[in-house]
Amino acid sequence: MGSSVSHAAAPPPPPTAVGLAVALPPKQDEKAEPKNVDWLNLPCPVPFEEIQREALMSLKPELFEGLKFDFTKGLNQRFSLSHSIFMGSMEVPSQSSDTFKVPTAHYEFGANFLDPKLMLVGRVLTDGRLNARVKCDLTDNLTLKINAQLTNEPHFSQGMFNFDYKGTDYRTQFQIGNNAFYGANYIQSISPHLSLGTEIFWLGHQRKSGIGFAARYNTDKIVVTGQVASTGIVALSYVQKVSEKVSLASDFMYNHLTQDATSSFGYDYILRQCRLRGKLDSNGVVAAFLEERLNMGVNFILSAEVDHRKKDYKFGFGLTVGE
Amino acid sequence: MAKSSTSMEKLKGFLSSQISDEEKWALNSKLLRAAGLFAASIVLMRNFGDLMAI
Repeated sequence: MGSSVSHAAAPPPPPTAVGLAVALPPKQDEKAEPKNVDWLNLPCPVPFEEIQREALMSLKPELFEGLKFDFTKGLNQRFSLSHSIFMGSMEVPSQSSDTFKVPTAHYEFGANFLDPKLMLVGRVLTDGRLNARVKCDLTDNLTLKINAQLTNEPHFSQGMFNFDYKGTDYRTQFQIGNNAFYGANYIQSISPHLSLGTEIFWLGHQRKSGIGFAARYNTDKIVVTGQVASTGIVALSYVQKVSEKVSLASDFMYNHLTQDATSSFGYDYILRQCRLRGKLDSNGVVAAFLEERLNMGVNFILSAEVDHRKKDYKFGFGLTVGE
Repeated sequence: MAKSSTSMEKLKGFLSSQISDEEKWALNSKLLRAAGLFAASIVLMRNFGDLMAI
């Protein structure tokens, strides 16, 4: 009985690179050594007022109650007009816990001029209000922004001038507003993922001033921000980008003056045909906002906000036509 | 001689003053609820967030 035991041949040698593969760099391990940080070339941080933008985009959709219809018509490459109708209830902020809803209806006419260096946006409403925004790139790094809201009622008009300067790894902004408002903020990249900022403001007419500090840590997957202000506000937020289409966000806000603490947790699904956002609040408010693309340039909007504690139910629907 | 209290008694006194007082408890309950929701949502997102992916 001759059992032929063949000695296991030595494993074949790895194939040598042939042809074009020689030109490719050799494969590196997944867990390569951390890249050296170039401390002199840190990325430019986000603007100070947008430090919580991911959380705001996911958790603060423009919920409304009633009917909304927006139509945007582009006249040429740079100029477009918009017509907007709203019929529904607007909430009037009140000191007591009751909510006051005022039925409103208005038509808004708008004109937009968009140039690479200059943006002009104007809106006129049937209740006599005028909103205007100007954004002008004075140089490559210096931008001027003007916001104005003019009303018929005396002492209710507002205006604000912002000068933004963008440096290599920092941004700074200076604000001048009506009622003798002066403000400034500065944000600096400390590392490729961390940026710290500070702001200061002075309200001339009320002789009030304030200072605030903010920090933002972001990687590809998460964004964590924290803000503290001398006005007694602490705001924290955490956003997790689960995939290209899905984000989860959570935020916490504490206001010492009004003795109020609120936290909310929400999701944001950005799909090809629709965008769905939903959130849950620590005050017992559940909200959802859906934008569905019915056709090229036609969007159907559904908005819902249910406040279980105050028994306040708000549902809205609308249509947006145009870009 | 001044009455001396241990740190444990001071802690208990502080906690009971925060809980029994009506106004303070209204704020504290809101704070606890908000902080609890924030912390729990972060734990949930970090550990189970991938389940919500499409």
